[in-house]
Amino acid sequence: MARIGVFICHCGENISATVDCAKVSELAAGLPGVVYSTDYKYMCSDPGQSKIKEAIREHNLTGVVVSACSPRMHEPTFRKACAEAGLNPYLCEMANIREHCSWVHEKGDATTQKAFDLTRTLVEKVKNNHPLESIKVPVNKTAIVIGGGVAGIQASLDIANGGHQVILVEKQPSIGGHMSQLSETFPTLDCSQCILTPRMVEVAQHPNITLYTCSEIESMDGFIGNFNVKIRKKAKSVNEKLCTGCGLCTTKCPTKNIPSEFEQGLANRTAIYVPFPQAVPNKPVIDRANCRYFLTGKCKVCQKLCPTGAIDFEQEDEIIDVKAGAIVLATGFEIKNTDFFPEYGYGKYKDVINGLQFERLASASGPTQGAIRRPSDGKTPEKVVFIACAGSRDPAKGIPYCSKICCMYTAKHAMLYKHKVHEGTPYVFYMDIRAAGKNYDEFTRRAIEEDGAKYIRGRVSNIYEKDGKLIVRGADTLLGGKPVEIDADMVVLATAAVSCDGSESLAQKLHVSYDPYKFFAEAHPKLKPVETNTAGIYLAGACQAPKDIPESVAAASGAAAKVICLFSNDELTREPIVAKVNRMPPPIFSTCMGCEMCISICPYQAIDKENITNRNGEVIKTIAKINPGLCQGCGTCVAFCKSKSIDLEGYSNKQVYEEVLALLNN
Amino acid sequence: MGAINEIAARLLETGEAKVVIGYGEGSFGSVRPAFARNQEEAEKLIYDKRCTQNLAMYVYKKEISPLRKLAIVANVSTLRGIIRLASENQIKNGDIITLYINELGEVIECKALSEIEICLAEITPEIKPEDKELIDKLDAMTPQERWNFWISEMESCIKCYACRQACPLCYCTQCAVEVNQPQWIPVAANTSGNLEWHITRAMHLSGRCVECGQCGEACPVNIPIHLLPIKLAEEIKNIYGTVSGMKIQESNTLSTFKPDDKENFIG
Repeated sequence: MARIGVFICHCGENISATVDCAKVSELAAGLPGVVYSTDYKYMCSDPGQSKIKEAIREHNLTGVVVSACSPRMHEPTFRKACAEAGLNPYLCEMANIREHCSWVHEKGDATTQKAFDLTRTLVEKVKNNHPLESIKVPVNKTAIVIGGGVAGIQASLDIANGGHQVILVEKQPSIGGHMSQLSETFPTLDCSQCILTPRMVEVAQHPNITLYTCSEIESMDGFIGNFNVKIRKKAKSVNEKLCTGCGLCTTKCPTKNIPSEFEQGLANRTAIYVPFPQAVPNKPVIDRANCRYFLTGKCKVCQKLCPTGAIDFEQEDEIIDVKAGAIVLATGFEIKNTDFFPEYGYGKYKDVINGLQFERLASASGPTQGAIRRPSDGKTPEKVVFIACAGSRDPAKGIPYCSKICCMYTAKHAMLYKHKVHEGTPYVFYMDIRAAGKNYDEFTRRAIEEDGAKYIRGRVSNIYEKDGKLIVRGADTLLGGKPVEIDADMVVLATAAVSCDGSESLAQKLHVSYDPYKFFAEAHPKLKPVETNTAGIYLAGACQAPKDIPESVAAASGAAAKVICLFSNDELTREPIVAKVNRMPPPIFSTCMGCEMCISICPYQAIDKENITNRNGEVIKTIAKINPGLCQGCGTCVAFCKSKSIDLEGYSNKQVYEEVLALLNN
Repeated sequence: MGAINEIAARLLETGEAKVVIGYGEGSFGSVRPAFARNQEEAEKLIYDKRCTQNLAMYVYKKEISPLRKLAIVANVSTLRGIIRLASENQIKNGDIITLYINELGEVIECKALSEIEICLAEITPEIKPEDKELIDKLDAMTPQERWNFWISEMESCIKCYACRQACPLCYCTQCAVEVNQPQWIPVAANTSGNLEWHITRAMHLSGRCVECGQCGEACPVNIPIHLLPIKLAEEIKNIYGTVSGMKIQESNTLSTFKPDDKENFIG
């Protein structure tokens, strides 16, 4: 026989101002199965909880209903109190008579009646509750970090220094990401490579980090603490174990005219190449799409020259299976190219370049050794126009958001240009100067006041070429829209930062949600900025939204902290609110017919097949099996199962049905 | 003796099949299902225009199932039923030999399920003209008229579950209607309870129904109950382009979660 205790909370005056709590308690006492009922000012307080505990002991309660606030906050409180009194915590239920009743209704009999009705439904439910045990799942203490830019490097190092194994997966032949391409960094103008490359080397040498370059995620299944990931390691055509990185092959390769990705097309590379001198790992790879041997079947110059015989044209893609407990997504961003802008010449003017190309021009390791020269004729430009918000904040171009980093790097570019070409004049067309950040506004002021960058507030309508000059036509909106025309030698577009190509399919592989611009979505914009909606997968850096270096690094350390927190447990505890396939005595075993349609409908891949065998190991029946570690308790399979063989623990059909009946049989 | 008898006799003789499910002469000029287990019974099998019943529903019946391997005389809807049962893991490849009789009266013996798929690849399933006529009539009605039509039909249902027994896809050992904890569908035959049963049945068949119409045929009170799953099958074909029971590896149209499913129908 059920022995239910009902506890009505006043929540100070939050509930009692409109609900007659004593009346609800009195009515509840008359419900069949209810042996104890009371009301109290603050049920969640210590004395309130003591009332519950005492009642459980004194009245031998088999179930508890607390009519109070939303279960979101205090269900764990009351369940813990029940557990302390020896009652299984899942025999405690909450009726929400605050948000669902007292806060939304006027004081009156009807409001009190509704509070009683809500309490009554939960009394009927709790009569059908049965004890549940929380689920324990083991944690595999290896983390996978996807993306080897500054965020991925930081996250990897932090997790590895925390004593855990890290697998760093990078798509390109080298780690380093966009930061390795930058010349100097705002707001301190320190050399980007000088601060990054030591970190890159640390990654390569760290005993806890395994680095896979030229690699991508093939597939992922599993769940927090227990992910199974397949990594596709693309054929590099160079045996890494034999290669010493001497670089002889790269000097003799006959195909020398491939635009270098690292140099943003401002210089060429060979078909067997190291992306840049400080690359990690510093071993060449063959670009099969451009290699003469792979195109014509003849050449093999590199193979003949290689002193260690490391060139392997037969090498195939390798699929590596790894198990991990957590995943950090740090895939970064891309920028729009100049060909995205019809008004700026669709990319056909050689001297209209993007911000990354300017970084390469200004970089001491770049194609011009840091001298600012026009890509078209190599002359030093006397007037350079920088255009901020190229594509960004432009709904017409489908990019309504602010790319965030451009205001700062444009100021930096203007400064670098002025530092290198003293007689030159930098012009900056801008919409607003967004320089929020430590020492950021000071930095942009310095560009304007000390370095003489000419800032013009307005947009550029078009650019065209005339007599070797680029005519930039715009308007100065601070002077009432006065037309401005500048005969520039070079134009730098601060093109919009966008999500990486392939981020959508990666998000789908990892079951991570993403926004309309294909940036990965955080679980909560304020309170869970580095978590995703998929437990155990975290975000770092600009794959979430455009971010500058300090922000990316901070997010990476945040994500690493989350991973280390997760790894500090040997087991994870989960709520046992999961679906379960019924089991019965022979000869039925289960009413599940094994149609397997629940397997395809499950959004979490939590359902698999299970063979029921006899003592000789022969299969008698194949039925569905739900992995409690993966199941999120969404109930899709429960609703779908035709033979009603699946039920949801804690929210069974029977429980919900009884709740509904309690309301109907008023 | 026609081809069907010869093949049945051979299969039984060689032991390739323990039983051949087919049609035999019934009383008063009707046909009935026949189960041939020996030469003598094999000789009594018939096949003609009257043989429209979908025999696929016998393959999982507990009296027949242990006799696998079975052979079964099949028309198009039998083939589709078998393919659908296979895609729901109720039949394994090699469990069944189908003796498909095509439009020309030729018997095509399919030992593997893939052979059935090949037969079906040449067929475009069509709804019977009289069913189509009634569906069009119902489509032309206002929702209220349609509701009234079905309510009046439901009044005569006696909940005998013949529709369920005749269906090649109602193989559950525990039907939803038999679940009484909680009792979702009332046991008594009353109009609203009958409606609940038939809506549940139609929903359980949506995306699965092979449009054989056996449920309607079986109904002793002549409710055109087969129109509900057939209409749903038509809708699914129009929306998703899928037809149930044509390929084993078909997608479960209404029971597949895809992360890239467009949700443009919301809002």
